[in-house]
Amino acid sequence: MSKSHLFLSQKIKSLLEKRKSREALEALVLISVVTCLNMVFGYFAAAFAFYLSFFKWDYIGSMEFVGLKNFMVIFEDLWRGINGAYFFQAPFYTGLKNILLYTAIVVPTQTVLAMILAAFANQKIKGVQFYKVSYFLPAVTSPVIIALIFIWLFMKQGFINYMLQFVAPGFAPDWINDKNYLLYAIALVAIWGTSGHFMVSFLAAMQSIPRDIYEAAMLEGAGPIRRFIYITVPMLKPMIVYVVVLGLIGALQMFDLAWVMAGSRGGPGGAGYTMALDIYNEAFINLRPGVAAAKSIFLFVLIFSITYVFQKKYKVMAR
Amino acid sequence: MKYSKALEKTTSLVIALILIIAIIAAAWYAMQPAAPPTTPTPTTVTTTVATTVTQATTVATTVVQTETTTAVVEKVYIRFAGWSAGETEMKNYEKIIKMFEEKYPNIAVKYEVITQMFHENILASFGAGVAPDVFYLDSAWAPIFIEKGALYPISDLVSQDFMNQFYDFLLEPFKGPNGKIYGLPKDWSMLMLFYNKKLFEQAGLTKPPDTWEELEEYAKIIADKTGKPGLAIYLGGFNRYMPVALSYGAPKPWFDDPSDASWFDDPAVKKTMEWYINLYLKGKIEREKQGLTPYVVAPQDVGAGWLGDAFGKQEVAMVISGNWMIPFLADQFPDFKFGEDWDIAPVPRGPEKRVTMAYTVALAINAKTEHPDAAAKFVEFVLGPEGQKELVVKMGHTLPSIKGLENDPNMWPQHRKSLSFKYDLVQIFLWGPKSGELEGKISDIMASAMRGEISIDEALNAMKQTVEEMFSE
Repeated sequence: MSKSHLFLSQKIKSLLEKRKSREALEALVLISVVTCLNMVFGYFAAAFAFYLSFFKWDYIGSMEFVGLKNFMVIFEDLWRGINGAYFFQAPFYTGLKNILLYTAIVVPTQTVLAMILAAFANQKIKGVQFYKVSYFLPAVTSPVIIALIFIWLFMKQGFINYMLQFVAPGFAPDWINDKNYLLYAIALVAIWGTSGHFMVSFLAAMQSIPRDIYEAAMLEGAGPIRRFIYITVPMLKPMIVYVVVLGLIGALQMFDLAWVMAGSRGGPGGAGYTMALDIYNEAFINLRPGVAAAKSIFLFVLIFSITYVFQKKYKVMAR
Repeated sequence: MKYSKALEKTTSLVIALILIIAIIAAAWYAMQPAAPPTTPTPTTVTTTVATTVTQATTVATTVVQTETTTAVVEKVYIRFAGWSAGETEMKNYEKIIKMFEEKYPNIAVKYEVITQMFHENILASFGAGVAPDVFYLDSAWAPIFIEKGALYPISDLVSQDFMNQFYDFLLEPFKGPNGKIYGLPKDWSMLMLFYNKKLFEQAGLTKPPDTWEELEEYAKIIADKTGKPGLAIYLGGFNRYMPVALSYGAPKPWFDDPSDASWFDDPAVKKTMEWYINLYLKGKIEREKQGLTPYVVAPQDVGAGWLGDAFGKQEVAMVISGNWMIPFLADQFPDFKFGEDWDIAPVPRGPEKRVTMAYTVALAINAKTEHPDAAAKFVEFVLGPEGQKELVVKMGHTLPSIKGLENDPNMWPQHRKSLSFKYDLVQIFLWGPKSGELEGKISDIMASAMRGEISIDEALNAMKQTVEEMFSE
């Protein structure tokens, strides 16, 4: 026991004596900054939200322990929604339903689109740098500004409907003010905004695929489309898992686009209402931060289980 | 080479250390809201020390030094938080604060502008225990703040004479159950009818509508004759509907108990709610089905952000909005002139009464402030005649909350005219402890019915259910 202890301390000493120990110290100091920030604004906030979900509070007065009552509010809401209540009587259910549909549209589309864009950007075409930059541009633009621009484009007499009349004459929905189209409009903006970002991830992965595999395939007579389907896509599998997981996390938490395009109450028929908007409204309009925290935990569990199941299922296959 | 590498290492170390120190310092600073930085006062006193030293003996110096310490102790800092209606408002407040600090050299005011989500921010600062000493408080939020004991009773701090200057009905929302006043209104606005004179002329109309029926009738005439919608209203907007209900004799709304849901059973409420929802159902949706120009629209239907925008762009002939629209029109549409192109009229009347809505924001003092007297002095200065002349009357954003400024030469003619309208009832935007939440939920239901997604009966039932559930906890 003491022997091993001595051995350990000697080892640490010798480590410290080495020139590299200074480097380690520097690294620790530099990392500690971010770690401290993360502790306070990340882990502490998360732990506090968990704690808060068992209390009734209104910011000003003192907290009152209510057990699982806050979670009961959620299940009542969901139960009501399943039984067909109006959107304003079951806001959480509305948000959940919308966000699941939104995620089902956005995540597959943006992943496939990002992959295709990356395949193009990976070619040796003239001016490829220009395409890369223009695909990536939306990723560095604020989502709020993107949403504002798209509201303008989506107007009844806006640019998108103007272009649509050549493709599908007579089809000119009032995207933002029609409950049947609002969520799709938001999803379109999200896809446009995030595909470029994920393209970069795919591009990096594509460039690390050994060239000799392609050369071998070419010798066997495989064309570019077959090479893409049978070589590029399977080789990209780990990256696809990564992109889908990140996409899922982002889509399920969507707040900014809905806030700007649908408004804090979700727009017509609550079509643009999301869980994140509901959490916000619960915390700051209804002044029930405890219920808001409970809803956040529900969202956390939802995101965690979906991504966990997905990773478990596909990461093994990728290896 | 080696030297530069070492230099690099030291620099990165130094940067990291500075960062850590900065973070710790920031955290420490944030933890001490009332920590008085003692710089400003002593500087002036130090000069006196210097002069005395040159003039006299050491005894004099010691005397002056004791004076220094007392001066430092007396200097009081208060934090004042508000939102801002624009750069001019901010600059005017800075000016007033400077005047105040000159008058009371021992009080310093730190002005904090919270541009967005003001009440959310204030609530969060209460939660964290770092709320400002003096802050804006909207009437709709007042009951919660009062109930939770977050506010200092201002009526204990200022004289009765000062309190008497305010319009009584504006003090109402800030009155606690004990009769004390917890906030003093800084200004106010009320609803009125804005109408486009040129569109009225084109439609052959000579005067603004006087009753709610006339309002709808005129809107129709304008739509038929000019091809522009006559009236714009919000989809939803419980508070905009309220004057209609009250003018038809509905009881004054107050919701703080499940049984208050019966307000929606009142025949006047049912009748007017149906009329208001039908304005849009018939005026917009049915008219468009018939291929006619709608006579009622929502701002977004004509590509406008809000009523003021729709009216200023001359896309609609009439809107019912508040005094806040006046500076907006003057600023954004300078060629659209008051008197020539547009004018204002009282809100239309019902068979029983003529009713308008009033909106007010108060200055309130934090119950936990360490310097209630200094805060009260500041509130008195800002809200007194001098302050309001500068901040409200001259700027022309809203109406002054104290009496006696109606005939001030600097008062904008539009605002003065709005003050001349006679009403049987001025209803403050406040109907119980959860006015804000209720406004959002009832408006959602109204909007849904206006779009034709649910029937009017279903909407009324949903409204009742909302009130019952909100207060049944």
